[in-house]
Amino acid sequence: MLRIEGLSAGYSAKPVLNGVSINVEAGQFVAIVGPNGAGKTTLFKTISGILQPSAGRITFGDADLLAVPPAQRAHLGIAHVPEGRQVFPSLTVMENLEMGAMTESGRRDWKENIERIFQWLPVLAERRGQFAGTLSGGQQQMLAIGRGLASSPKLLMLDEPSMGLAPSTADFIFERLIDIRKQSGLTMLLVEQRVAEALESADHGYVLEAGRVVLEGNNETLRADDRVRKAYLGM
Amino acid sequence: MLQFRSMLPAIIFTVAYAVVSLSVSNSYYQLVLTLVPVWAVFGLSWNLLSGYTGLISFGHAAFFGIGAYTTALGQIYFDLSPWLLIPVAAMLGGIAGLLIGFPTFRLQGHYFALAMLAYPLAILYVFEWLGFQEVTLPMKRDAPIAYMQFADPRIYTLVALAIMLATIILTKIIEQSRFGMALLAIKQNEAAAEAAGINTLAWKLRAITLSGAIAAAIGAFYAQVLLVVTPQSVFGMLVSAQALTVAMFGGVGTVWGPVIGSVILIPLAETLHAEAGARIPGIQGVIFGFAIICVILIAPEGLFWKLRDLLRKRPSLKAATVPDASQPAKAAVTPFPAPRKRAATSEVVLEVRNLSRSFGGLKAVQDVSFRLHKNEILGIIGPNGAGKTTLFNLLNGFLRPDQGEVLIDGRNMSGQRPHVICEAGIGRTFQVMRPFLRMSILDNVVVGAYVRAKSEDEARKLAADAVARVGLSDVADRVAGELSTKELRLMELARALAGQPRILLLDETLAGLGHGEADEVVAVIQQLARDGITIAIIEHTMQAMVRLVDRFVVLDHGAVITEGEPEVVTRDNRVIEAYLGKKWVAHAAH
Repeated sequence: MLRIEGLSAGYSAKPVLNGVSINVEAGQFVAIVGPNGAGKTTLFKTISGILQPSAGRITFGDADLLAVPPAQRAHLGIAHVPEGRQVFPSLTVMENLEMGAMTESGRRDWKENIERIFQWLPVLAERRGQFAGTLSGGQQQMLAIGRGLASSPKLLMLDEPSMGLAPSTADFIFERLIDIRKQSGLTMLLVEQRVAEALESADHGYVLEAGRVVLEGNNETLRADDRVRKAYLGM
Repeated sequence: MLQFRSMLPAIIFTVAYAVVSLSVSNSYYQLVLTLVPVWAVFGLSWNLLSGYTGLISFGHAAFFGIGAYTTALGQIYFDLSPWLLIPVAAMLGGIAGLLIGFPTFRLQGHYFALAMLAYPLAILYVFEWLGFQEVTLPMKRDAPIAYMQFADPRIYTLVALAIMLATIILTKIIEQSRFGMALLAIKQNEAAAEAAGINTLAWKLRAITLSGAIAAAIGAFYAQVLLVVTPQSVFGMLVSAQALTVAMFGGVGTVWGPVIGSVILIPLAETLHAEAGARIPGIQGVIFGFAIICVILIAPEGLFWKLRDLLRKRPSLKAATVPDASQPAKAAVTPFPAPRKRAATSEVVLEVRNLSRSFGGLKAVQDVSFRLHKNEILGIIGPNGAGKTTLFNLLNGFLRPDQGEVLIDGRNMSGQRPHVICEAGIGRTFQVMRPFLRMSILDNVVVGAYVRAKSEDEARKLAADAVARVGLSDVADRVAGELSTKELRLMELARALAGQPRILLLDETLAGLGHGEADEVVAVIQQLARDGITIAIIEHTMQAMVRLVDRFVVLDHGAVITEGEPEVVTRDNRVIEAYLGKKWVAHAAH
């Protein structure tokens, strides 16, 4: 569904990504892990069009994604749940979700989407009238995920959903993601620092280090590989 | 000391202006010619505070008005000469600056600007209430020279020019001294300035005092030129705006800005008022505003900087290619990181005991204790949000600890202001670089040297030494805006070094560098350690860190989870757990 080939990108001529190739099949849950500064967020920014790559190709379905203007990419069915949640603090939970449903398919399927979102993330139903800024970190993260789902995406991209959350809350979020995936069959691309949790949830994992894919494989093979630890700790 | 040559353009301009004005006999045009240097000086006074420190004042009319009323009331009630009253006005303006600055400098950014707005407006109503709605200066036809009431209006212009020249020279002297450097440092990054050993509050108070004095002096002269003072004409919003307008139009942070702004805008406004305003009332404001909008769009930093950039474009291209050619040669001099070969001693130079700090419910740093030995390189690591930067902020005084002690050479320094800790020998760099882009590398580094240097020359020498130690001597004269990330990192290192610290705290010095570049910076840091500086470094890039440091302290959730040598720490289960998650360790154990 999403095919990234030889992607290089960066800021003002300083390459952050160096020939990254990643493949996400329809219905697959793919995790990209790696230490701070490896280029995970830069990769997401390039996919959603905030950053122009210096080389490489990205295809989404049959479309050449780089030829699509950034604002149109959400309408193709790519939902980006950004790092640090970025909910609209002075809007209510419900209004935040409506903001997610600005795509054509999101508006069309609003009724069933909201039902499913409330079923998956019941806390959002409970607090639908509350201002997003007054939610706890974990609830805000769930709202950000709900907002992404409200656009009826084909691909859900999650940038560090565990960031700044207590370990137990992060675990809960990962469980929700696995459930959502199971019930909806949605394709998901996850970027995470929490390696163990991310790889456990995903079908396939890539280890990014200093802008390159240094390892890939499923949970079992990556778990057994000491190079993952080295990527994080240097030796 | 200051070279005569740098003053030459100002002197030539003043003389030329004087010659032109002497040939004008029409008294209305002569008045316009007098007002140009008057508003230029007012703009310069504003520039001295707001242009250099970046703290925008919307209330400079407060000083201007105090000066104007000093000459008016002094002559009416005490029959004093304006020659005496103008210095008195300057003194009162300076005192007002001090009184206003002391409480208002607690505020920053927009809040400072808005608070400044209040002062002239408040004083305006006080003067109205006192019954000084319209004060006319008494005529002194018998002693025109002693009372500054010249029959020939050209003399006013000459006096105004003299004040302007004096202000320009004063500003130039400040610009090139540690005073000016301190103000620029505050503008770029107040926190970094404190860390470089600059007592920011003291310098800001000096700036507003001097600025208030100049504004009051020129306000006093303005009253003398017009011979009538009303609260609106000297304390009003438009007066404050005039200072901003001429300075921002011409260029902020340079002596030429307010002068250029005044030379263009004042005659334009007056001419429009007289010519167009008679036919279509109000049109002058529209044209005037339109001109200002155009300049803001074309040259947002002011005309001076735009012109200078245009003039520099061609030479700077050439300058940029020459050092590039020498770059490979320099890279060859600093090869791969050398092995660790310093014997870290057992002498403790910095000791942290049970340090804690919370933000609301979040325990950012809890009960942290460790020792830094003379000559060692200590790496402080931990996952995102582990409390590393908070720990540095506690060490160098940006934050006060809730509990615990920071002992430097056995003396408890916790809770001291950053510049005091800097004086005690702790230098620091920052995660986010804030170089002074328009200044040369050497000038950027000099700011860090003032904490040790007694004279300007000594500061230059210390800065040059520091630049040499990080290997930037070849490019020391280039403007910081042209540098690469690596060179900026090295420059920041040099700025911290210029204060001759014994201990350096480095906050993510390798962030954003490529592999080869990181190695070059690592080599520089290792050389510093061999030269006897003790170093504590925060870093995410573990690949470089494991080769750089002697010892790690690992933080997670604000607490020390372990410390020790890299080989041991990177295989410690608690560390792996902090970085890769509990589940990873549990699995690996099977």
